Amino acid sequence: MSDRDLDLLPEFHTSVQRFDKGSRIPGWDRAADLDKDPAEVPDPADTEVPAELRAEIEAEMARFPDIHSAAIPALFAVQRRDGWCTPEGIRQAACVMGVTPAYLTSVATFYDMLNTEPCGPRQVYVCTNISCSLCGADELLGLLQEELQGNEEVNLRGFECLGACDIAPMVSVDGVYVGPVPFDEVPELARQIVAGEDPLPGRQLVKRPSADPKVSGSAGPNPERSDA
Amino acid sequence: MTDLLLFKGIDEPGLNTIDVYERTGGYERLKKAFAMPHAELIEQLTDSGLRGRGGAGFSMGKKASFIPQGDMQKYVVCNADESEPGTFKDRELIQKNPHQLIEGVIIASYAVGATISFIYIRGEYAQQADILEAALVEARERGYLGENILGSGFSLDLQLYRGAGAYICGEETGLLDSLEGKRGNPRLKPPFPAVEGLYGGPTLINNVETLCTVPHIIDMGAKEYAAIGVQDSTGTKLVSISGNVKRPGNYEIELGTPSREIIYGLAGGPPDGREIKCWFPGGSSSPVLTADDLDLSYDFDTMAKAGSMLGSGAIIVVDDSNSVVDVAWKLAKFYTHESCGKCTPCREGTKWTQTMIERIKDGTATPMDLDIMASVQDQIIGHCLCVLGDAMAMPVGSLIAKFRDEFEAEIEEARQRRERELMGGVLA
Amino acid sequence: MPRPEVKMVKFTIDGREVEAPEGMMLADAALEYGETEIPVFCYDKKLGPPVGACRMCLVEIEGMGGKLQAGCSVPVREGLEVKLDTPEVKAAQEAVLEFILINHPLDCPVCDKGGECPLQDQSFGWGGGLSRFVEPKRHFEKPLALSPLVAIDRERCILCYRCVRYSQDVSEDYQLVLEERGSDTYVTTFDGHPYVAPFSGNIIELCPVGALTSRPYRFRARPWDIEQAGTICTLCPAQCNVSLTVRDERVLRVLQRDHEEVDDGWLCDKGRFAYQAIHVDERVTTPMLRDGGELRPVTWELAIETVVAALRRSGEKTGALVGGETSNEEGLLLGNLMREALGSFDLDSRPGGELPLGLLRGLGEPRLQASVRDLEDAHAVLVLDCEPVDDIPILDLRLRKAVRHHGVKLFMATDRPSSLDERATASVRYAPGCGGAFAAALEIALSGAGDLDALSAAAAAAGADGAQVRALADSLKEAGDEVVILWGERLTAGERGADSARALLNLSDRLGLSGKDCAGLLEVPSGANGRGLREAGVLPNAGPGLSELPRSGRDYRRIGEALAAGELSALILLHSDPMLDADDGELWERALEKASTVIAHASFLTPGVREHATVVFPAESYAEKEGTVTHPDSRLQRLRRSIARQGETRAEWQLLAEIAGRLLDIDERPPMVVGSMVSRQLFADVPFYNGLTLDEIGGRGVRWTERPEASAWPAGDSAPFTVEPAPPAASPNGLLRLGTFRSIWASPEVQASPALAFLHPTQRVEISPADAQRLGIGHGQKVTVGGEGRAVTGTAWIREGAPEGTVFLENAIDEDSASMIEGPLVEVRRS
Ligand SMILES: Cc1cc2nc3c(=O)[nH]c(=O)nc-3n(C[C@H](O)[C@H](O)[C@H](O)COP(=O)(O)O)c2cc1C
Ligand code: SF4
Ligand code: FES
Repeated sequence: MSDRDLDLLPEFHTSVQRFDKGSRIPGWDRAADLDKDPAEVPDPADTEVPAELRAEIEAEMARFPDIHSAAIPALFAVQRRDGWCTPEGIRQAACVMGVTPAYLTSVATFYDMLNTEPCGPRQVYVCTNISCSLCGADELLGLLQEELQGNEEVNLRGFECLGACDIAPMVSVDGVYVGPVPFDEVPELARQIVAGEDPLPGRQLVKRPSADPKVSGSAGPNPERSDA
Repeated sequence: MTDLLLFKGIDEPGLNTIDVYERTGGYERLKKAFAMPHAELIEQLTDSGLRGRGGAGFSMGKKASFIPQGDMQKYVVCNADESEPGTFKDRELIQKNPHQLIEGVIIASYAVGATISFIYIRGEYAQQADILEAALVEARERGYLGENILGSGFSLDLQLYRGAGAYICGEETGLLDSLEGKRGNPRLKPPFPAVEGLYGGPTLINNVETLCTVPHIIDMGAKEYAAIGVQDSTGTKLVSISGNVKRPGNYEIELGTPSREIIYGLAGGPPDGREIKCWFPGGSSSPVLTADDLDLSYDFDTMAKAGSMLGSGAIIVVDDSNSVVDVAWKLAKFYTHESCGKCTPCREGTKWTQTMIERIKDGTATPMDLDIMASVQDQIIGHCLCVLGDAMAMPVGSLIAKFRDEFEAEIEEARQRRERELMGGVLA
Repeated sequence: MPRPEVKMVKFTIDGREVEAPEGMMLADAALEYGETEIPVFCYDKKLGPPVGACRMCLVEIEGMGGKLQAGCSVPVREGLEVKLDTPEVKAAQEAVLEFILINHPLDCPVCDKGGECPLQDQSFGWGGGLSRFVEPKRHFEKPLALSPLVAIDRERCILCYRCVRYSQDVSEDYQLVLEERGSDTYVTTFDGHPYVAPFSGNIIELCPVGALTSRPYRFRARPWDIEQAGTICTLCPAQCNVSLTVRDERVLRVLQRDHEEVDDGWLCDKGRFAYQAIHVDERVTTPMLRDGGELRPVTWELAIETVVAALRRSGEKTGALVGGETSNEEGLLLGNLMREALGSFDLDSRPGGELPLGLLRGLGEPRLQASVRDLEDAHAVLVLDCEPVDDIPILDLRLRKAVRHHGVKLFMATDRPSSLDERATASVRYAPGCGGAFAAALEIALSGAGDLDALSAAAAAAGADGAQVRALADSLKEAGDEVVILWGERLTAGERGADSARALLNLSDRLGLSGKDCAGLLEVPSGANGRGLREAGVLPNAGPGLSELPRSGRDYRRIGEALAAGELSALILLHSDPMLDADDGELWERALEKASTVIAHASFLTPGVREHATVVFPAESYAEKEGTVTHPDSRLQRLRRSIARQGETRAEWQLLAEIAGRLLDIDERPPMVVGSMVSRQLFADVPFYNGLTLDEIGGRGVRWTERPEASAWPAGDSAPFTVEPAPPAASPNGLLRLGTFRSIWASPEVQASPALAFLHPTQRVEISPADAQRLGIGHGQKVTVGGEGRAVTGTAWIREGAPEGTVFLENAIDEDSASMIEGPLVEVRRS
């Protein structure tokens, strides 16, 4: 079926770019491809699903009273395998769960950690929310961006509050929180990220003692931050 | 100050393992709870005066008492989504003492008769989730979870659920939708989760810190717990302090401690030479207070009377080197990004506020825009399904109200800057 | 479930007392009972429980601490004090509209919705009249295709959630979703796939702005150019109530005309878009005569003369087949023409063949008839030998609603996997054509008596699994005693049709369905007006009102055999083409070939008409007809002429009366001058229609079984019957059982409508993965399916749910129709 009859419209409907403040969302301008079939629940008879992915998703489905709860874990499984939530991966997950791929995409796009556009498999987040930005997070993000420019393996993003304002400004490298990150350690951090090494081992959150002086064994009053 | 409760021995090496936890008296409170009838347990929780630590400050015991009795499947859901900017207390509790939380969830589940329970942890807390997952395995192995726990006849299936990055999933009904595998849109209330929650069953939802407190109440008894703190704000509270302070971090304080003592005494105050311009007493959603409010007692009611709230107990300090316009912009941008998009006033109002502040910054706003902005905040507050929109409107509204001069000065300054740039362009 | 009782309560709106049913949402109660409107966007009762998203409906309620409440989601109760006329409410309404209009483009002058747009109306009624938003609005490409039928304009979308809730909670196809979050949220489908589903068009009407528009209707008219005309869609037995948008005597659009007892305010895409077929060139709009092998246009006079002369010659050697688009009145007149003017009793409207009169009466027994409404008020619904989405589409949505919102337990007993299986408590398969045998087995299982062997034998006869039948019986019993059986006419087709009917009556007797509230039988006839035609006497063995005839004529199949054998010489086809409707294409090809005269009333030159008709009269479309039809649940509904008859088309009833008059050569009966006179005749001739008037039927219809005259229904045979055990279902033995189905899209109207043509099916051979593997067939490959001598080709369609040992083929399509091959067993191989 051709799309020609839509084009019966006068030219100006589609061509004028009056303002540049469109959305960052690519989907807004996306039309349906009328040559495709509708995306119904994928039939197992014509959808091939690799055994590991199937097993992983089925195990998740078994954990909940309602299998739909497995949506997010299933999407994470796809993302782990493909680096992002690929349409093919979503179709396979949908097949295992017996839902439409649209359902899973709709869920995936709601959440910041699930990527539905191609991106690198290494997820690096820099918190740029209020407490971190009071401590220089925006500059940190800028510096790290410079260092990692052009690296397709790394998906570097500014992120909303990661719940680690005590180590502001901070970075999450595939879930490993490090901070406070002094600007002069950015090149080293970038190198470690690219090399897949443990990021700034001395600054990892999990190794930090409590700040509360009443806690026995705590480092006592925290070493005061100099860069604030 | 009384002894530490939640943070007691928190830095003890290996506390996250069941052996160390048991050695420090862990899971003993569970046995004590199993010996109590359900009604008495709930009474204890009510009498303790424990108010929810997740933000709303609702009585934990009262909420538990709303859960209907009967044979239907009931659930307890622990809210470990902790995404309120400035808040990071649950993270430390989970990471360093996961069994304290598990014990709390088991007792709460037992109290309301829930046999399937969940801990919903934000996906970004990957390391903490791994630690908790390992602790759950240990607890199952030791028989604290599963069928017929400790011979009590009570069974509990406790599962960990990792979120995927959405602040709104901290809102209890958004969390339920997310846990059910949907987009995390908040639901229409009523019905409240206590009546119709997860998978349609009665559900008790509590914050991590709230649930971690439960074993301590069982341990010391409601009366003794209620003696800590002040009237209507009993017990201790973890406070996350961040922003422009020398010693950011989590501190366990007795409710009713003067705010100054927390900000200056514990966290060291702002860096030398700087003054506090404003502070958020309860996460980024709370209306800001100023240096004039530093002597207020840090408890639920005093904060509310001062026109703000204790919220999640996260204090963010902003010193005088920062512009309030930037602070307002960060807030608006955050809530715009996190609005689920269901309600018109929240979806459009947050976005509009963000663009208006951006116009202030780029020099195309006028002081009249401040009035529009203020009225937009008024039209968000109280008009939506949940309070995410309010969570932007209240602090932004309070910033405009308390720092209007500064906003106007910035508008003027930016306008001149822009004019210069435009003129420069013409001249060049 | 006992139908909920309605209790009225009193409450106030701005101090004015209002009385409304307890629990009704305030927004509805205000509008329906309170003479005032609370503006809404996201709320629509039809979508299920409110979600309270748009916040347009904020109201103040006494005792809620001044916090405004969403009027769409406050159930009314005694003593509620509602305030609309307060500054806070007004400010909130203005604010929500201001927020909504922030991103809404002001392109009303070029918007299809302009003039009939809720957003325009509400901006006028409740808006502040000005916007303080000075920032640039968003701009995107527009309009974009969402499907061949629907265009989407995302700039205009106000994110009310209606369309996606519809797709998820009503049609449950879950293809249309929201992506992203917050102000980035937008409506879309998966990865650029089009939104194609049987009921997709409903989202156009749900959209409260011009974001979703009908591509076939775009820019065809403005609200002030058009008129709306209410009538009934007769493209299938669902008989949905529709409102036709008419401009210059052309139908430009079909809208729903919400009838809770019939369609619940939804339409299928066939009903919504096949209006295009009314105005296409392919439509027959002049009389035609075969001349030198070709059909050529002729004058009415010549056509009528030719027909009268031919019928004079054939006399009682004339047969007639009547299709479902025929009205009750036309059916009555044709019966008179056949039996009185020609002396022939060889007429039929049931492709499945004759049923003994006693059984027809037994099945139609008023106390045994369930209504559409009962489907949602019953404890359980058993769907037996029909696929709702194909056979009576709108009930597919009704059953989904029943399960989702009313907790009705759904049971599926079909030969082919059903789209409702996933919503069913249990689904059982049996071999094609064995619906009756299955009913018998289920009855045995329900009786609890009899040994396991008897049940296994009965199940085997149906090609079903005994344990499954028993499990179904058990959970059916457990579900409760109010059961509706939604059954397809095809259950009673074929040689064993009478036994099948008996088994069905035994089953309903066993379940005690007669005279029970919210329970009974609901038949899905194979023709749109199948029930009405029977009641009007279009049967070989019954006259109007299912009256006894002096003798019986030939039924559908025997008419074909008699034609082929030369025992009949002429055939009248009223909205009927046996090459599409009958499942024995080979017989009918011979029959039509042999017939000396074939007289067709047709809108399209379908294969049988094209190749074999001697004379073709242009048939009216439903938009041109007047008269009545009878819904499967016994509701008489009124067809109203909405446009002028196209081309030279004339009223069919007039033509039938005219031919009869000329044949009889005398004015034996008073002449029929206007259509309503025929209706009056119908109401007089059918005893249980006695006293009805067109006015009483009006726009909402009348269920005759609920009128006192229902007692005039002639008593039929009643259960229990002894039923001969069916012979065991054919065992595949290396071959495959042949099952057939008629898709919702297999219709000449769909084929002729440019917008729908992409949906018209080609042969798709549904086969199980196991069989496909055994036969070395891959998904999408060309395959040949055949019996002795005859074969059709199609595309292999491997489905996980397809039962092993059976292959399913499409019927009623132009080429390679399943009717061209003969079962019960066929061979399938790669072409
Ligand atoms: C937008 C929004 C975000 C929220 N985020 C959190 C959160 O991250 N963690 C939390 O415990 N409560 C959060 N809450 C509060 C919860 O809705 C709920 O009140 C709380 O989990 C109840 O637990 P409590 O009674 O123990 O405090 C949030 C509320 C809103 C409106
Ligand atoms: S107030 Fe905002 S975040 Fe909350 S439900 Fe409404 S749109 Fe979603
Ligand atoms: S109509 Fe009530 S919130 Fe939309």
